[in-house]
Amino acid sequence: MTRLTMNQLRAQIEEMLEEPVAIGEDDNLIDIGLDSMRAMNLAMRWEEAGVPLDFTDLAEAPTLRELWTMLEARQP
Amino acid sequence: MTGGETAPLTEAQSGLWYAQRLDPANPIFNTGQYIDLKGPLDLNAFQAAVDQVGEEAQALALRFTEGPGGASQQVDQSRRPSLAIIDLCAERDPQATALDAIQKDIARAVDPLADPLAGQALYRLADDHHIWAQRVHHLVNDGYGMVLLTNRVAELYGAACGARAAGRPFSSIEQLWAEDAAYVASAARTQDAAWWHHYLAGIDDVVGMAPGRALSARSFHRHERAMETETRAALLALAKEAGINWPDALTALVGAYCRRFTGTSELLIGVPHMGRFGSVSARVPAMVMNVLPIRVAPDEDGSIADYIAALSDTLTQARKHGRYRSEQLRRDLGLIGGAKRLYGPLVNVQPYDRPPRFHGLDATLHVTGTGPVEDINFTFRGDAVQGLTLEIDANPNLYTQEEVAAHGERLAIFLANAVRADTLSAVQTATPQEARRELEAYNATAHPVPDTSLAALIEHAMRAFPDRPAVSFGSETWDYAELDRRSRALAQELRERGVGAEAIVAVALPRSLELVVALVAILRAGGAYLPIDLDHPPARIATILAQAALMLILAQDDPAELYGDRLFSPSHWSQERGESLSPPSATDPAYVIFTSGSTGNPKGVVITHRAIVNRLLWMQSQYGIDSDDVILQKTPATFDVSVWEFFLPLISGARLVVAPPGAHRDPRAIAGLIRDYGVTALHFVPSMLALFLDAPDSAGMQVTRVFCSGEELSPDLRDHFHRRIRAQLHNLYGPTEAAVDVSYWPADAGDASRPVPIGHPVWNTRLLVLDDRLRPAPPGVVGRLFLGGVQLARGYLGREDLTAQRFVPDPFAPGERLYDTGDLAKRRSDGAILFLGRADDQVKIRGLRIELGEIEAAIVASGLTRAQAVIAREGRLIAYVTPSPDYGADKLRHFLTARLPDYMVPAALVELEALPVTANGKLDRKALPRPVLGERDGEGPATPTEQLIADLYAEILKLDVPPSRRADFFALGGDSLSAVHLTLRLSERIGRDPGLAALFEWPDVAGLAAHVDAMEDGGDAGTGPLITLRRASEEVMPPLFLIHPAGGLCWGYRTLAMALSPARTVFGLQSPALDPDAPPPASIDALAAAYARRISQARPHGPCHLAGWSVGGILAQAVAAELRAMGREVGLLALLDAYPAECWRDAPEPTQAQALRALLAIAGHDPDAYPHLATRAAVTAFLRAGDSPLGSLPARTLDGVVRTVLDTNRLVRGHHHRAFDGTLTHIRAANDHKDRPDLTADLWRAHAALVDGVAVPFLHSEMTGAAASALIAPILSQRMAACEAVPA
Repeated sequence: MTRLTMNQLRAQIEEMLEEPVAIGEDDNLIDIGLDSMRAMNLAMRWEEAGVPLDFTDLAEAPTLRELWTMLEARQP
Repeated sequence: MTGGETAPLTEAQSGLWYAQRLDPANPIFNTGQYIDLKGPLDLNAFQAAVDQVGEEAQALALRFTEGPGGASQQVDQSRRPSLAIIDLCAERDPQATALDAIQKDIARAVDPLADPLAGQALYRLADDHHIWAQRVHHLVNDGYGMVLLTNRVAELYGAACGARAAGRPFSSIEQLWAEDAAYVASAARTQDAAWWHHYLAGIDDVVGMAPGRALSARSFHRHERAMETETRAALLALAKEAGINWPDALTALVGAYCRRFTGTSELLIGVPHMGRFGSVSARVPAMVMNVLPIRVAPDEDGSIADYIAALSDTLTQARKHGRYRSEQLRRDLGLIGGAKRLYGPLVNVQPYDRPPRFHGLDATLHVTGTGPVEDINFTFRGDAVQGLTLEIDANPNLYTQEEVAAHGERLAIFLANAVRADTLSAVQTATPQEARRELEAYNATAHPVPDTSLAALIEHAMRAFPDRPAVSFGSETWDYAELDRRSRALAQELRERGVGAEAIVAVALPRSLELVVALVAILRAGGAYLPIDLDHPPARIATILAQAALMLILAQDDPAELYGDRLFSPSHWSQERGESLSPPSATDPAYVIFTSGSTGNPKGVVITHRAIVNRLLWMQSQYGIDSDDVILQKTPATFDVSVWEFFLPLISGARLVVAPPGAHRDPRAIAGLIRDYGVTALHFVPSMLALFLDAPDSAGMQVTRVFCSGEELSPDLRDHFHRRIRAQLHNLYGPTEAAVDVSYWPADAGDASRPVPIGHPVWNTRLLVLDDRLRPAPPGVVGRLFLGGVQLARGYLGREDLTAQRFVPDPFAPGERLYDTGDLAKRRSDGAILFLGRADDQVKIRGLRIELGEIEAAIVASGLTRAQAVIAREGRLIAYVTPSPDYGADKLRHFLTARLPDYMVPAALVELEALPVTANGKLDRKALPRPVLGERDGEGPATPTEQLIADLYAEILKLDVPPSRRADFFALGGDSLSAVHLTLRLSERIGRDPGLAALFEWPDVAGLAAHVDAMEDGGDAGTGPLITLRRASEEVMPPLFLIHPAGGLCWGYRTLAMALSPARTVFGLQSPALDPDAPPPASIDALAAAYARRISQARPHGPCHLAGWSVGGILAQAVAAELRAMGREVGLLALLDAYPAECWRDAPEPTQAQALRALLAIAGHDPDAYPHLATRAAVTAFLRAGDSPLGSLPARTLDGVVRTVLDTNRLVRGHHHRAFDGTLTHIRAANDHKDRPDLTADLWRAHAALVDGVAVPFLHSEMTGAAASALIAPILSQRMAACEAVPA
């Protein structure tokens, strides 16, 4: 499993966005352009890399802070 | 145990709820799947996982109730679907048994008010093989919810096996309900609605890939296939290159594929949207899914990368507003009910739908149902890296299983090509196999045909059947020897006058024996015939004549002085002469037929002998025509259907029956011909066939074969035909440019096709349905119909440019040509071709081919408009014009009537300030207003008969407003076909046939009503001794009797009668001499006595009024004297420009020629315009060819009219007036009699007690016209009222 830092997570999400934008920790990712299809791609990339986050996590908790909290709890 | 809150249905559930409640027995609302689990299953761990998920997934335990406030739902834990474990190890075929049970379970309808909505079972097939099946009603779960359930069970199973963490449980359904309720009331929803309304503005009627209504059946067809590895890899690469995700790329390409089947530039696809992102529902199994309507209108020539990127962008936007329900959108846009819909096929790409992973097991997912299938659903499951399966589910009411499988095959090939192509246009729709079938198998029509001419075939029949009847017309029949003799003689003469190969000879003859001789002789002489329609305006005939370098014109005469010394009339033809002629070669032209041309001028289609010989021999062989057949010729020679009517019998030794002129639109006449001659084959344009079937005369008729062509044969008409007539029915199709017909379809009683196909190609002919890049279209795809083979015309006469446009090089057969019909067509899966309309502005009205451009060009030529557009609407031509300062509707109509055949003159002229245009500046046809037809601008119907007729006008002409009593049937848009329809309906209502001629003579409501009333008085064809010109609503006023002028008929008084008050009945007294069997009257007094008796019968008591014009005035005075002698009271006696008999005593009696000219005047023609009509035959032929009601009189009656004209004039000269003891009102035509100033009212002072003289500013001949009647009617009315005011 790959360990991911918060900045790496932020960079990955930023890459998926419709338009490049700097993500604040509490920004709603949907509001800044992350839609279900992009989220799906992101989730698949995580899965390939062994990151313990899935699509449901993204769908349910679309802020960087919430995702990071979940990731922290699951990363060894 | 019941628990939890009660909630109303969510928006997502409501539509499904009503659909299921409307059709409670429909199991299609069950969704389902099963997972094949191979390997050692830990049964306890699995049971525990399933139980745990059953507890978490509250939706599966929902209970529904229906109350006054609507349906509501509540979680009821007792309804949790427990896992049934069924051991099938002992079965012979455990797997088949399990699958059968699964299928039966999902095929059972669930009642959401009574039954649990979900069920599941674990089938044990072997120690290491299990099948886990789930069935869930769509009300409580969707596709993503199923994935959640599966993955959660797999997760918990893995945890129980100690292989992974247990993860988080599902969120609660109450949270989902709260979120849903909040959305319904939110500003976000309002914004979403606004976005969708903007996005969908201007959408056209949505059509699917197959015709028919998209209502889910109870089952669906399924086709499944795996996408190839190479295609998947190329798809991923394409998406990456375009910078978008691959599911959107795939959606875009599938949409482009679907669009090709709709025949429209834009298709709306439905894209299922899980609707869970950023929502609590991300972790709640429930019904949440929405369908997003997405507009697909690719630029086929643009880059595919651009197209898919743009569509992906749209999808991104749409998903942002994806919570707004499509059911609500349908309501917003008024797309509820009927065939209205918001989207066609569904395209559903589910990348998250990956094979489930069960610890230590090999798991395979099978989806058994996803809910209603309204049209066709293309579902892709998989991540595209490891795999991607295509699942096509289709509505069996719209697609056959074979069609679904063909879509699977074709779409797979389309995608494989599209993911590698630069543009969509480079990707063919048809599979290579389909393309081969289109080019080869469907068109394997090679058949040997002798290399000969039509003339040689006819001559062969003449030699083989010399004494068989060849042609019949009226009471005359010629045998083949006679036809041979006459046509050979004329052919010889034509040869002497220079006719040979490539020479064109025009034929302007009405249907007659001479016409047949002319056509056969021209062919035998080696020339090509060019038929001219005598009814067309001279200007159009002149245009046609100018285009053909004509040597000769075979016609009776030259009324418009167009022919000059090229005229060669039948009276000059020799009948007895000539040896055999050498027949023409197969490549020489046989005939030239002109059709409407879009650029303004009609164009002449040149057909060779080889082409028409192929067509005729095919038909002879296909339908077994031989010398026993009797074929009816009733199509005007200017339409190419007439070609087989004339020549199929003549090459077969059969009998050609030529219908009298005018008979082709008279159902009764047609039925009479069929019965009288034992006709075995005839043709109808479908709209005329419909009328024929409606006519009482066609009931129970028996014919061998009936052929239809010229317009679409509807399935209903086919079925109606077989209920009413015992005959084969054949649907033929073809343009003039390909020798009459190129395809055929037996529309027999057992044919259930809807629509009726145009069928399969005839001999040596190819029918190709091609896309706009001339590539074969697969079955089901609309394309343009191209024709190839020996029947193609040589081209358009003298128009190489037009020829090159429509006759294009055949890309599949070098050196050959294809004719571009401009017709849209598609192939059924059995290869039969369906006609689907036009790709351009050509329309058909009653089977007559019309280029709207030709009418528009004529309007332009008038100079009366600034802009113009003509469209066909409900079978009628409507012209929209923006008037120039000189514009006048009458002016324009007059201009068009002088240049176009009557069927091309628009039925309505609509004036607009500007023509509506679309955003890109093109005429916006949809925005052209529907004209208000039948504007009421006069008095309403005054009598019951008028009311009946007004109602029928409105019904048949589909008028928006009931017509006034003055409204003219033809001015309201009626044509000869609707005229037949009207007379049929009228005779149904009144029990007798008023005859078509009556409507042409009295096209206004009141006039026709008067005629109908007169019929009740016994006047059959309007020639009876007493006719009612106008029937009063009730008998209050004494009637007026109008007495006939020299011709014996009172038809000319109609206008005057109509101008009088509707409260007075007006009768017409007509000459008994019209009946040729009646003895000629001895004197005017004898006639007067007969008329007085007739008046007494019609009006036994009280006063009566008398009036007459011309000779009718002389008669009126005599009748008045006779009535007084009988002791009857005479009110008004009015003489319209009549002078006593002694004024004429010394004048020479009119010659027969003058009498004939009088006849022309009676028929409404200006005799001076037709100085050449000097013989009885010429005049009657002229009248018969026109629409004059006189022309439709039986020949005997026409004879009667001529006799009456001559008799009456003779009797006048021998008449001596008796005195009338009352007031004689004389109305003088003051503009006339310049050379006889002695003709005044005073002349009557010798024959009446008092003379009341009035003068009106008209000529003698104008006295019964509309303008004079308007002045004279009040004069008469006033005096009649004055007489009635003083009691006798």
